[in-house]
Formats: sequence, C-alpha cells, structure tokens
Amino acid sequence: MRRLSWRLVFLAALLVGLMAFAGSRLRTVLFGPTDATWQALQERGVWRVGMDPSFPPFDFLDETGQPVGYDVDLAEALAAEMGVDVQIVALGFDSLIDALRDGKVDSVISALPFDPRLTKDVRYSESYFEAGVRLVTPIGSPIAGIEDLPGRRVAVEWGGAGDVQLRRLQKEEPTIERATFQTQEEALAALERGEVDAALVDGVTLALAQGQGAALQAVGPALDSVPYVIAMPVDAVLLEQQVNENLTKLRKRGFLQRLKDQWLSGHETR
Amino acid sequence: MQEDSPLSPRSFQRLTKRPLLLGAASLLFVLAAVVAYRFTSTSVPLGPQQRVQTINPKMGVHTRLTDEAEPWKIKRTLEMVREMGAPWIVEYFPWAYYEPRPGRFDWEHPDLVIQHAARQGLTVIARLGFPPEWARPPETSDLYLDEDQYAAFGAFAAAFAQRYQGQVTYMILWNEPNLSLEWGGRPPDPESYVEMLRVVYPMVKQANPDMQVLAGALAPTLAPPDSHEAMNDLVFLQRMYEAGAAPYFDVLAIHAYGWGFDADDPADPSVVNFRRAELLRAIMVENGDAAKPAMITEGGWNDHPRWTRAVRPGRRVENTIRAYEIARNEWPWLASLCLWVFRFPWDQKTYQDYFTFVATDFEPKPIYLEVQRYARGEWEAPTP
Repeated sequence: MRRLSWRLVFLAALLVGLMAFAGSRLRTVLFGPTDATWQALQERGVWRVGMDPSFPPFDFLDETGQPVGYDVDLAEALAAEMGVDVQIVALGFDSLIDALRDGKVDSVISALPFDPRLTKDVRYSESYFEAGVRLVTPIGSPIAGIEDLPGRRVAVEWGGAGDVQLRRLQKEEPTIERATFQTQEEALAALERGEVDAALVDGVTLALAQGQGAALQAVGPALDSVPYVIAMPVDAVLLEQQVNENLTKLRKRGFLQRLKDQWLSGHETR
Repeated sequence: MQEDSPLSPRSFQRLTKRPLLLGAASLLFVLAAVVAYRFTSTSVPLGPQQRVQTINPKMGVHTRLTDEAEPWKIKRTLEMVREMGAPWIVEYFPWAYYEPRPGRFDWEHPDLVIQHAARQGLTVIARLGFPPEWARPPETSDLYLDEDQYAAFGAFAAAFAQRYQGQVTYMILWNEPNLSLEWGGRPPDPESYVEMLRVVYPMVKQANPDMQVLAGALAPTLAPPDSHEAMNDLVFLQRMYEAGAAPYFDVLAIHAYGWGFDADDPADPSVVNFRRAELLRAIMVENGDAAKPAMITEGGWNDHPRWTRAVRPGRRVENTIRAYEIARNEWPWLASLCLWVFRFPWDQKTYQDYFTFVATDFEPKPIYLEVQRYARGEWEAPTP
C-alpha cells in the first residue's frame, strides 16, 4: 500500500512536470502561437521602428529634419503590407537593441548587421542587403576571384574590414601586394584610375560608387558576410513571420531592387 | 576462507557501516579531484623570463583580465602585449572579488595575473575599487562607499600592497570619481574622495613604502556646474587640491580620450580631446605639484563604423601612434600612456569592442600590427 502511494505521488509529479514543460507548446498547437508585440502593434495600428538616422543612404535626416533613406522606404512598404502605419523612433546606434529589449520600439530597421551573438536576445528577419567586404574589379577585368590575386596589387582602406581580409589572404599568398588608402572611396578611385588591380571594400561603398557611375563590379561572394536584417523582440514569432513573408513579397515584386536603384545603384554582381 | 576484494559488496557494506572511514574516503576523493583539477585542467607554465623590446618605454595598454577565467588566455594576453612592444599595463582588481568576507582574502586570480605579467616583463599598474557587499549599505550600487568604510578599503589596499611588494609598485585608488555612476549613484564629491585618499594612502604606505599611489583617474567631461551626473574633470581636480589632496598621492592618473579629434588638436577647456591631459597637468603645476609625475591610465580612439565619437580605422592607427610619440617626446612629466583596451574576454556587443587591439579570439587587428611595427622602429605612415 505504502509502495503504491509513493508510485502515485511520483506519477503525479511527473505529470505536473510534463504539463508545465509542454504547456506552452500545447497552447501553441491548440490555439496557435502568441506574440504580444504583434498583438500590441495591431491594436495600436502603428509599428514603432527604431532607427539611427546618421547613416546615409540607409538612414538620415532630410533638410526638414524628417528621416529618409532606404530603410525608411522599406519600413513604410512593410507597414503598408501589414496594414499598419509606421512610426520612426530616432535613436543612437548603440541604443537600438536596448530600446528593443525594453519594449520602446517593436523593431529595428537601421542598416543593422546580423549578429549571431545576439540571437538569444533578439529575433532577426531574413537579410535584405549584403554589406560584407567584396572583391571589386573594373568591368572586363580578368580577375574572377580571390584565387587570381597572387601577384596583383589590391587596394584597401588602411586598418578597415577590407584590410583585415587582405592581411588574412596575404598569410596564404604573400605575393598579393597590399596598397593602403585612408578611405574606401580613395581605394576605389585608385582602382578606377588603374593604379591597382582590385580593391576590397564593403558592399555599401561599392554600391554607392556604382550609383555614381563607376564602371566597377563585385566578383564572387562577400568575403565576410554582413547581412543587414530587421531585429524584433525574441518572442515576436508572428511579427517575424509577417516581416519575412512581406520581405519575400517585396523582393519578388522588384521593390528591393528599386530601393537599391533609388538609394544606391543598379549594377548586377557577376 | 576467501578474502573479500576491496570493492566486493560485502566490503562495501562493511565500509558503509563505518562512517568515519567513509568520511575519510570521501575527503580523500574530493582532495584528489581538487588536486587533479588544479594541476591538469587550468594551470599553465609561466615560461621563461621575458623582456619587452620597444623604442618607446612609455607605451602601455589597459588589459581586462578581471573576468578572464582561463589561465592560458591570461598568459596569451600578456604575451601579446609584450610582443606588441608595450611595457606597461593597467589591470583592474575589484575589492569585492578578492575580499568576499571581511579579512578573508582570495588572491588566486590576482596572483595568476601578476605572476604572468612579471614573467612577460610588464609593469603592472593595479586599479582598485568596487567594494564588496559587506562594506556598503543594503540596496546601494556596486560602487557606493561611505566614509566610515574608507578604512576597510584602506585595509584591502594595504593587504594588496603588502602581498605584491616587489611585484607591483603602482596602485590607482578608485576610478572616475567625478561621475555619479562611479561614485555610487551620488553626486560627485571631490572633498569626500580626498578624504578617501587621506585614509587609504598612509595605510598603503605603511604596508609597502615602495608603492606609488595614483589618484584621480577622472573621466574627461564637460558636464555643466549644476549636473548631478558628473563634474567637469578640471574643476574636480582643482577642488581636490583645495581639499588638501597633494600629500596623499604620488602620481596623477589621467584619462585621455581623443573621440573625434586628432592627437595634435590643441587643448581647450571646452573640448574633450587627447591633449586635455595638458590642462590637468597645468592644474598640477599651478598647485605646486610639478615634481609629481602623471600617467595616462585610459585613453585612445575608437573605430566603430557607426558610433558618433569614432574615427576611421586608419585615423585611429595614426592617432594612436602619434599619441605614443607625444608621450615619448613632448611630455616629460608623463611616465606611461596606457590605452583602452587591449582585449575583452568576450565581446561587449557595443562600440566598446572597437577600442580593442586584439579580438576575443586573439586575432590581432590591424592597429595591433601597426603599433607593433612602431614599437620595433619599422613604422611609417602609408603614402598612397
């Protein structure tokens, strides 16, 4: 009898534990996922988007002090698809994630690079722009990838992300010659003048140069992927779903390419 | 009759009937585990005695080994500092970590840091602060210390000074007391900070007369006079002198950040830049303290791509090397220039990561390699 009652207690405890563990999952299965952020923004009818307006052409202020740029247009298009208005909340870059964690904004759209170290704290959308370091050559160059760099002269911004990549490449191929410049723009200008064979610059600098008519192309994939993404609260599963679905929709409609054409450039990557 | 083997069920039963024997066996097991842990999993050899090779003996960096748990990483960090050519480091030793209960010290971690630093030929400037919970009233911030506990801080500082006599000869008392954040959430109070020096300094000197006590370590700030959050560093230092601080410190610790300005931008009381250090020095001279040296224990430039106070990476390299040159050639009153910060044990996930010379995985950043070339006398600014 005594053994039986202990078994009952054990079974009851096991059952309670299992229910506690499975409760949220069961709720999700029975009633669908819950998302307080999504629910609140729908009730409000306003999507509060955090942005640091100091990074043209993605985020900056126009002469009237209004935020404009690639990210503003993207936020407005996504909000329209979700049937809500957008409210841009201007913040310093370093405060963006804290504001998201504190619930002061629903999302962050601010040329924000994906950071795997933050995935426990925030939920990220699919990427909408690749800003990593690219190998850049003049259109028509015989250089088809980093394997063609030995013996070539490559321009980088001194101490910048391209320089870091080039120093890594030089460890494997010491014959690659490193030409340093104070800015990435100067590195690309040297490439256009034919003083170097290639350059390593980030995707934004390249796109801006292309937009200004530089006959340059990116060759191969980014050497260090820096995808720009939209950040949301870590439990905002429905909002993430909405954002990703609508990003796909906008991409298919060519809207993201139009944004790039408008704010950056239109040259295709080979 | 066959004897039971030591692990047979019968002998185990006999053993369990003798609590004393069982207790002794358990104790032996625990001791063996501790010994095995200490000698197999964490210890790293100190290695041969090293010496820093550099053209500039004033070069230094602020390391951040306080929360670095793995001994090999402590050693690797200090090796890389030496290999970069910097003979000085500032390191933080939080009081709360090493005196968790009054009078009960745990020196294991500082021993490790100081022994490895000495073996690499580095001179350590120890920064002390961060009172333990027992030394401050309940519900106060981690950096709160009442005047009636200054003697307790003094006792810790004296114990530190005594333990590391012959190994550590520089000690900073507190950090940035002109910020409310660093002063326990209270408005900055230079007179009370001087009272701290008045209590702690003689205790340290008595324990270790060779210890050079650094004071100040003020945050460069243009805070307005009515601010409760911060006090202008120039004002704070002058008030320290007026409160009688001079006999209670041997070296002034200075924080010299460049923010968006170049190392050669002139000093100006209305600007926070690198040469603001000259204004603090002028206050020392005006107050009859010209014979006393100064040390920059934090400073430098940041190359975050988006932070508003950052500069481009190349400008950071140029300014960093220029700052070391200024320290060497133009500021005879400055004994060392330790820039913030060599490496963090883990990513801070903020602009702070862009102050470092080495990534958390020990990959040297371009600034590390350029400073290393400078220290070897091989550096020249690139000409496109």
